[in-house]
Order: sequence, then structure tokens, then C-alpha cells
Amino acid sequence: MTANMYRVGDYVYFENSSASPYLIRRIEELNKTPNGNVEAKVMCFFRRRDLPNPLVQLADKHQVALEEEVENQKLKKPEIQDNNDPSLNGKQKHQLKHRELFLSRQVETIPATHIRGKCSVTLLNETESLLSYLNKDDTFFYCLVFDPSQKTLLADKGEIRVGGRYQVDPAQMPKELETPENDQRKLEDLETLVWTPGHHLTDRQIDQFLVISRSVGTFARALDCSSSVKQPSLHMSAAAASRDITLFHAMDTLHKHNYDLASAVSSLVPSTGPVLCRDEMEEWSASEANLFEEALDKYGKDFNDIRQDFLPWKTLKNIIEYYYMWKTTDRYVQQKRVKAVEAESKLKQVYIPNYSNKPNPAVINNNKGIVNGNSNGEVAVSGKACESCNVTSSSQWYAWGPTHMQCKLCHTCWQYWKKYGGLKVPSRIGEGESEVKKKSGSGNVSDEDSVSERAPSSLASHRPHRCSIIGCGKEFKLKTQLARHYATVHGLAVRAGSPRPIMKTRTAFYLCTTPLTRISRRLCRALMQTRHAARAPFWAINVPAIKQECQVQMTGKSLAQLKELLVYRKKDRGSVTAIATRLGQYKETVTPEWLILTDKDKMPKAEVVAFPKPPKAADGSLMYERVPNKPEAEKIPLNNMSPHLKRRAIDEVNGMDGHPVPQQGPPPKRSHKDLANLAQQAGLNPNAMVPFAPYIGPCPRPRQIISQLNGKARIAVTRSGSGAKQVLSWMEAPEEVLFRSTEHVKKVRRQLTTPELRRAARKPWRKLSVKGLEDMVVVLD
Amino acid sequence: MQAHSKKRVCYYYDSDIGNYYYGQGHPMKPHRIRMTHNLLLNYGLYRKMEIYRPHKATAEEMTKFHSDEYVRFLRSIRPDNMSDYNKQMQRFNVGEDCPVFDGLYEFCQLSAGGSVAAAVKLNKQASEICINWGGGLHHAKKSEASGFCYVNDIVLGILELLKYHQRVLYIDIDVHHGDGVEEAFYTTDRVMTVSFHKYGEYFPGTGDLRDIGAGKGKYYAVNIPLRDGMDDESYESIFVPIISKVMETFQPSAVVLQCGADSLTGDRLGCFNLTVRGHGKCVEFVKKYGMPFLMVGGGGYTIRNVSRCWTYETSVALGTEIANELPYNDYFEYFGPDFKLHISPSNMANQNTTEYLEKIKTRLFENLRMLPHAPGVQVQAIPEDAVREESDDDDKANPDERLTQASLDKRIVPDNEFSDSEDEGEGGRRNERSFKGRKRPRLDTKTTGEGNEEKVKSDGDGAKPEGKTEEKDEKVASSDDAKKDTAPNP
Repeated sequence: MTANMYRVGDYVYFENSSASPYLIRRIEELNKTPNGNVEAKVMCFFRRRDLPNPLVQLADKHQVALEEEVENQKLKKPEIQDNNDPSLNGKQKHQLKHRELFLSRQVETIPATHIRGKCSVTLLNETESLLSYLNKDDTFFYCLVFDPSQKTLLADKGEIRVGGRYQVDPAQMPKELETPENDQRKLEDLETLVWTPGHHLTDRQIDQFLVISRSVGTFARALDCSSSVKQPSLHMSAAAASRDITLFHAMDTLHKHNYDLASAVSSLVPSTGPVLCRDEMEEWSASEANLFEEALDKYGKDFNDIRQDFLPWKTLKNIIEYYYMWKTTDRYVQQKRVKAVEAESKLKQVYIPNYSNKPNPAVINNNKGIVNGNSNGEVAVSGKACESCNVTSSSQWYAWGPTHMQCKLCHTCWQYWKKYGGLKVPSRIGEGESEVKKKSGSGNVSDEDSVSERAPSSLASHRPHRCSIIGCGKEFKLKTQLARHYATVHGLAVRAGSPRPIMKTRTAFYLCTTPLTRISRRLCRALMQTRHAARAPFWAINVPAIKQECQVQMTGKSLAQLKELLVYRKKDRGSVTAIATRLGQYKETVTPEWLILTDKDKMPKAEVVAFPKPPKAADGSLMYERVPNKPEAEKIPLNNMSPHLKRRAIDEVNGMDGHPVPQQGPPPKRSHKDLANLAQQAGLNPNAMVPFAPYIGPCPRPRQIISQLNGKARIAVTRSGSGAKQVLSWMEAPEEVLFRSTEHVKKVRRQLTTPELRRAARKPWRKLSVKGLEDMVVVLD
Repeated sequence: MQAHSKKRVCYYYDSDIGNYYYGQGHPMKPHRIRMTHNLLLNYGLYRKMEIYRPHKATAEEMTKFHSDEYVRFLRSIRPDNMSDYNKQMQRFNVGEDCPVFDGLYEFCQLSAGGSVAAAVKLNKQASEICINWGGGLHHAKKSEASGFCYVNDIVLGILELLKYHQRVLYIDIDVHHGDGVEEAFYTTDRVMTVSFHKYGEYFPGTGDLRDIGAGKGKYYAVNIPLRDGMDDESYESIFVPIISKVMETFQPSAVVLQCGADSLTGDRLGCFNLTVRGHGKCVEFVKKYGMPFLMVGGGGYTIRNVSRCWTYETSVALGTEIANELPYNDYFEYFGPDFKLHISPSNMANQNTTEYLEKIKTRLFENLRMLPHAPGVQVQAIPEDAVREESDDDDKANPDERLTQASLDKRIVPDNEFSDSEDEGEGGRRNERSFKGRKRPRLDTKTTGEGNEEKVKSDGDGAKPEGKTEEKDEKVASSDDAKKDTAPNP
């Protein structure tokens, strides 16, 4: 299950064509399209085979350097040499090339259904042995970044610059350490003490003082006309007086008065009246708040513009402070909900079932066309063996390579090919690598040598020429030397000279003919038409017919006669030296016209640049924008709003159910102290407090009738299922509900047991099954 | 009583800091520092610390590190005159990641002012731990803004510490590499920068394992490149051994810890999976060394978690346990739906295998082994600290007031005190002789040779085993002294 869950940030295989290997991508975003499909925005990783040729060479060089570095380190510090990390052998080197990827900053959008599994891609760290990648399936590494538009390959590495312009001026780090007398600065100039724990007050005394200052604040609000409009109930005044600004002021006051409680308390009530501390939340009028919300709608969070066009009488700091407090209100939550709906199209993860083997066009239906059966010299096997591992039996065969080659892969090698984009062993089709060059598009197989030969010779000179005969693999600097090697050691004549013919035979391979084959060639010349077959490699040779004919012809011949047939008569093609000399003369090949690059300024300009070059920094380096790992939307927890939303839902239910509703009043500032307690400490009579305040909107309304339900003056605190306390802000008092307690209700109430009553009070949305309770509640509008 | 059993903690905060706004959509939100502050108040941690409002660092202070031109530019640029500075903005990398916003310079002043004041405070031995959550802007370069940072308050703070401390250790647990600090001290052996960060396809692109410093500073930059999904356990498994080794080999006398909270799980920009507890463990571990300790903020872009983290770390610094239930405060609603202090890790995969971490560790240990050992230095540093503390107390005491018995007791020369320490107690914090003795061996070796100096040094150490043991004895004695002073140590 988890294996098929794909999340943002996962590295995945992605199939875009059944014949070619998977693409490797990292999921950056998962989006739902309007028609219900899921699209993945992905970052591209390239394989070596996807790189343009010149860059492949660059990558090779880099890898060689990398390997050397590893070796060097081992030489230097033999003691840390990992025992299970011997030098890589040829096969491992070959496979390692499949494990190297090249990061690009190219992003594309793909249908999520084409994802075929997870893999892991990590930045190669030089402490790691490369073998650790080979030993684990689906692991890749990268160290270079490929830029497809610039055709560049760069190390993904920043640089710490060295020089006077970057380091601290040594004069600022005098070697002689200072003595305190040398420091002319006074600490008082650097800092202002606003609180110290070095006083004689106890924690309890500080708490008490905090309560006092809050009560003074409450009283100050009662006296203040503008406040009493905004906070018509004592609760709201008390809540407003409990905001952090009052507490900070109280602490400052204590400090200013040298932690002397008496003088601090008296300073709370100067001759001008009780101290009133109000933060932006309280300072702003309802109309200002409305203006702000309107502005926010219009401009987003561009507070400068908001200030200019909507609230010029506020300072920017006022607005920013208000904004962050406004975010705690219900209004913000409502806005967020709208945003959340929009963000719903952005998914965190997606489930993609295993790709059930839908008919893969590459699957070969049992041993269909083995036409050129003898062409690879394995006449003995009926049909070719796996191109990669040479096994001859497999549950499933897949056609691989160019169609005329009729190559096929066994199941495991096919999987390997799909995942790693190569064959397990250096294929006979070219020694080094068998790669489908994306340029040839149709899926032609080519090998390293042919690549180098195709490329302009100036490029080719970078790469060694390797003998493609299996088991030989000698390397030569020059093509001519290779040719000579072929001629002398393997008795092969390589057609050299013009590069054109070589381009035709991209699939360089070596035929090892058995005596029987050779005999058949001579005996059935008419049937086989060797010359014609050589010229038209796609022409099918009728193997069974030749076999038959050969058998017939051979029956009458003696062994000596047959042997005579095998004698090889050399054709005179001129001396090998002459050929070699001719080859050597080709220093500069003429670049065909179609290979000459168009001038940059003559290139057609795209109307829209999809991935524009990032701006250049002062030092000439490109400043890449950071690609975020995770979409921001993910960070907005959807359930953030739940307490408020839940509550709204509750209100509705209550209205309909006709159930007594304990109204939520303003919350206590500190959840562990209720207001009654607080009031007592402040010297107020708790009975004087109105337990449940009606909601008063931005503009004051006449008071409604308030009833006390369960007798206790407590602030309603809802508890969610998890038991977490969720205190509701006084800014978000619920709609008004009037509960008229008639004789009848009282009677009904008496029917209930105390636990039942309590439960009902705590969980007001539960329907009470008591007769005669319906039609009891009137909801006022 | 409290002052003795707990560390003396100074905390720097300016109530204006929360109102600086980087701009719409910008992840850096100074508001998180205010949220932390409000949580501290309502948790009752506020009253346990010395709270300071920092001064605004002057341009002169900033140019101790930054180039004059750059500081001049920062001072003059405003959103309304940006168009006049196009060229300079490019040069100083101001504009994109580091936007020009209202009060930009003031913001830098407050952030730098806090760290500088804190460092001075530590120098004056007036505090053991200083906290400036408004600081930690570790990407800022000498003449270049970078990664939301304009003025490198950390470098300025360290420079301040270097006035009194021969060697300062800088540790960076931000998810990003602390490149600004590393670059600033890349060529010096007096500051070791240790940074734990995500590396690979990640801002700022520096921090390779192989970057180890240059010139004299070779081996004095330590980089721990990590991959996505670091969890508490893995983090501790690499943090603890590396820092222990660094402490052992570098032997600093002051530590600066950058507590960037973007290494927490679920950060908007980060990709680690640490919880508040795991993050705080680093603070706890460094605190245990009991050195002058400066804690600064840094990254952190999921602000509710940032304030959780820094609140918790303040409590760690204070050695006070706080409840998991968050107290009510002005921003309480930000912490829904659970309203708890601690957060749980996500189920993201940890791409750092034990094997990988182990290999990195081995490699770094090898580098650290290249450091010249200077045991003589540190051994002398400790008794001084102890003495300094006393003398400082006495200096501050009111001459008209009677001395407490405790401080009178301190004046008695212990039996194991030798004559040379007499002048130490009186004159001032520092004894000339001891400083020279501490610094010279290192400096001398430095000047004698380029390549082989470390080897020469370590050979020298090996050749004198006797001296070494002697010093060790001294160390034991001194730590006893220190214990006496700081009473029951936690």
C-alpha cells in the first residue's frame, strides 16, 4: 500500500514509451485536473544516454576523475580502505554508468498514471562507495547538473570564496586579547534591562500583580466610552484586558518600580485614571477592520498599498501588527477555508496501483521471427539468446534494439533495461555501451565506438578507440591503430576512410562463423546470395531452405572436399599498411553542412521562454530561484480551522434541535483560571458577572435576555474529542440564541439526572430524549 | 538561590521586531520572534531571565565585518528610492530573496545589536547564556546579502567574543548551510565553524564535506552534508559525536549556536524531520559544556513551529521544564488544532542511512585529527574563568554593603593555589602571562611552516607525555574550583 503511495518529493520511474527505458523524475507537485485526473509536476533527471555526445564525454571525464580521487584517497589512507570495496571491475564500471543521473532544473507535467514505481536519487557523497549503489536496486546518484537549454554540465556546488573581500579583516581579530579596561563601551549603551529575575518577589506575587493590572484594565475599559461601545459586556472587557499587551506592561511596571509591589500597584492608577493598554486588535474600530479585510481581498498582503489606499491614518507597523492578530480571528479562518478549497486540487499524495502488465508492444510472442538466425553465429540455439545475459530461456521475451537486429531480452534484463537504461553487461552490440540515441529517434542501437566515429573527429580524439571483439577490449589512441589491431590480431578488415559508410553500420558486431556456416555459404551461394544479403541487411534469408539445401549438397561430399570448402582465399585488397596510411591522412573531416550549427543570433526566437535564464549575480553566476521541495499549500493544515468550524456547526444543530445551548462567552486569558476566580482576586463579586454574554457584533445592539443554565458561572470551553482545550476567542462570539426557561422547562429539567444534565451541558449537540423539550427554544435573529 | 543552581540567562528582544515585514509571499517572518516572546511570557519563562532591549547596532559596528560600501547601501536603501540603486542592488544581491522592505536597516540593526550586546555580555562574564532569537542571519556575506540575511549578526558577535576568547566555536543547526559565517572565518584558526545542513540541490549550494577551510583555517571549517528526512535519532547520532570531538580537539572557550528552526519537520522550506525535542537536544548538549554560550535564531518558516521550538529551547537554556499544553496568548489560535508545545515527526523517509552518517563521521574525525592539539591552552583557560567570575562579582558588589559569607569565603586562598595566581585575582580578568602561554605555542607553529605544522605539533605533543599528565592534574583541580563556584551543577 505504502509502496504505491506517491508523495510530493518522491523519486519515481515514469514511462513515456513502452520501448524506451523509464524516465526518472522527482514529484514536485500533485495536482488534480478538472476532469479528475492527477497530474504530477516533476523535476527531470537525465541519464547518460539522454545527454548530447559532447557532454557524455565531459561526464566520462568527470567520472574518471571521481574514480581516481577515490583511488587516491585509498592510497593515502590505506587504513580506512573498505575491505568490501575493491576496485571496480569492468562490468561494475559499466553498470555504474547506468546509476549516474544528471539533475536538471527542468520541470514538466506528466500524468500520474504513468508512474511505474519509486526509486531513490541521492547526491553522490565521496565517502560512499560507488558499489553501494550497485548493490541496491533502484538507487541512483548524481553529481552534475545538466542544463538542457544551455547544453552545459556543471557541478552542483557552491563555493566559499577566499580573499580579502570575503573574510573578516584580520585587523578585527587582534591576536592580543583585550582586557576589560580596554573596552570603552558601556553595557548600558548596548542594551536596556527591562526585566531581571534578581528580585525578592515570589512567583505568586508576580501572578497577583498581573491579575491586578488586568482588573485595573477591565475597570479602565468600563470607564472608557469607546471601549464600552466595543465591549458591552464585562467579559469582553476582562478578556480584552487580559491580552498580552497588558501583561507586558505589568511586567515593565514592576521592573520600573524596582519590584516594589506597592508602588507598582499605585502606578497603575495615576491621577489620570486607571491605566488602559490596548493593542491594535482592540484599537481598531469595526469599520477599520472591515476596510482592512476589503483591502486584503483587493491587494493581498501588500500592506504598503493597503495603507496608502485604505488606511492612510495607520502606520505600516500598526497594520502589520493588526494583520497578525487578525489571523487569529474567525474571519481569517473563513477566508482560509476558501483558500483551502482552492488548494484542494493540490494533493499531498496519490495512490497508483501497480502497473498491471498491459500488452506491451515489446513483448515477443513466442519465437516468432528468428530470421537471420545464423547471423550472430549462434546457430546452435534456436533463436537468439538474451542480448544481455545470454540466457536462452525466459518466461517472457522482449524485443529490444532496432527492429532489423531482432535482438531480444529476457525478463530480468528487460526490467534492468527499463530501470537503468542499459544492459547488464557491455553488449556484443558494441563493447562499451548499447545505447539508444535519442537523436536517431527510431531506436537505433549504437555503441560507444560508433558514437565516436560519428562525431566529428576532433571530438572523437578525446575518447580511446577500443577493440570491440569480446574478450579483447584493447584501447588505442588512433583509429588507424585500432584498424591495424583488427587486421593483425583478429584478422578483420575495418572499412575506414570516409566516415560515411561507418555511419551506416551503426550496429557494429562481429560474426563468428562455424565451419558449417561457412560451408553452407559456399554450397548454397545461389540461395543465400551473400553479396545481396550484405547490401540489403533487411532482406530475409530463408534459413530452413538453406539448411535443407546444404544438407543435400553435403551428403555426397567427402571430408576432404568439405575441408577444401573451408579454405579461406584471401582477396587482394592492398596492403594493410597502405590502408593504415590512408586512414592516418584523415585528420580533418569535412563537416557536412547539416551538422554546422546555426548562428545563435540566427536562431528562431521563441515567443515565450518557458524556462528563462535566471538573472545573473554580481559575480556573473546565475542566480537560480530555489525550487521549493514542497508546495506551500501542504503547509496549511486543513484542520486548523476545525475548532471554529465545529462550533458553527454546533450552533446550527442547536438551533434545530431545540436543545438548551450554553453560550460561549469570552474565553479566559489563561485557560487554567476562570474568570470568577479572577474576579475574586481582583476584589469583584463573582455573582456580579454575567456568565454568558450574547454576541455583540461590530456595532452595539440592545441586550438580549440572558439566562443562566446550569447555575455555575463558568466560561464555556469546548473540548474536542482529543481532550484538547480549545478556547474560543472573544472576537468570535456565536449567534444569539434566546432560551426561555419556563415552568415547563424547569419541570423537564428536573426529570433529568444530574449526570445527564452535565453531559448535556458539555455536549450540547447531543439530542436529549426528554419528553416535552421540543419547541422550547426560540432562535432570535 | 536560583541564580546559583541555574544558569544565568540573558535574553534580547525588541518589541518592534515582529512588525518588520519582508513582503507578500516571503517566507521569512520576523513575527515568529514576537510569537516566541509572547509564549515565553505566558509560560512564565520571561520572569526567570534577564530581559534586555538591545541597542541598534551602528554602521560602525557593522563595518567590523561588512564592507563600508555595503553598509552604506543598506542604510540608504528604501522601497521608495529603490530605482536609484539598481546597479548596487544587483551587486549586493538585494532584490529577490532579500527584498527591500520598510525598516530594513533598523531590522538589521536590532538583529545585529542583540548579538553584539549578547557577546559583550558574555565577555564581561555578566551572563552564562545569552539568547537573541532575532539574530542568526548566517547567510549574509561581507558585501552581499543572501538568503534573507543582510547583516551577519553572528560574525559580529563572534568578533566581539574573539576579543576575549582565543578560540570560539560556531555550531549551525539550521537546515541550510551557514555559508556566511563559514566564509567570514574560512581562513582563521581561531573560529571553528561546524554546520549541519541539507546538501545537494539546495540553498546555498555550499557546505560540501570537502570544504574544510583554507590557509591557516584549514581543518577549521567542518561541514556535515545531510540528506532529506533527518530525524531526531539520526541527528543526535551525528551531532553528539561530532561536537564532542570538536570540543575535545578544538577546545574553544566560547560557543555560538545558531538554532535555525527550519530543520524541524514540516518546515515550509526545510526537508528534515526533526521534532522540537530533537532540535532542543542540541542546545542541551552544547549547554552541558558550561562555556559562555550565545544562542541565536536563524531560519524557520513554519512560524508556529519556530516559536514552539525557540520557546522550548529557552526553557532548556533556563533548565526549566515547561508543560506541553500551550498557555493562552495573543496568538494561541496559530497553534491549532492541538495547541501543544511538542510536535510529532512526519512519516517521511529518512534518506540518511546509518552507513552514510557513519562514513561522514569517520571522514570528519580524520579531519579533526589534523588539528594541532593544544592541551596546555585549555587547561589554563578554566581556572581563569573561575577566578574571573569571582572578581567580577566582587567588582559589581556595592562597596558600602557587607559582603556575603560566600564571597568572603572565596577570598580565602585555597591550599592548592600557587603564588602566580595571586595577581590574577586582583588586577583584572586576565593575566598577561597565562594568555601568552596559551596562544603562543599555536601561533609559533603556525608561522614556522605551512604544510607540516600540524604534524610537527602533534609530534611535539607525543614527545612530552610528562607535561601532558601534569596539565591534566591541574585541570582536575581547576574543575573542582569551578564546581565550588557554581554550586550544585545540573
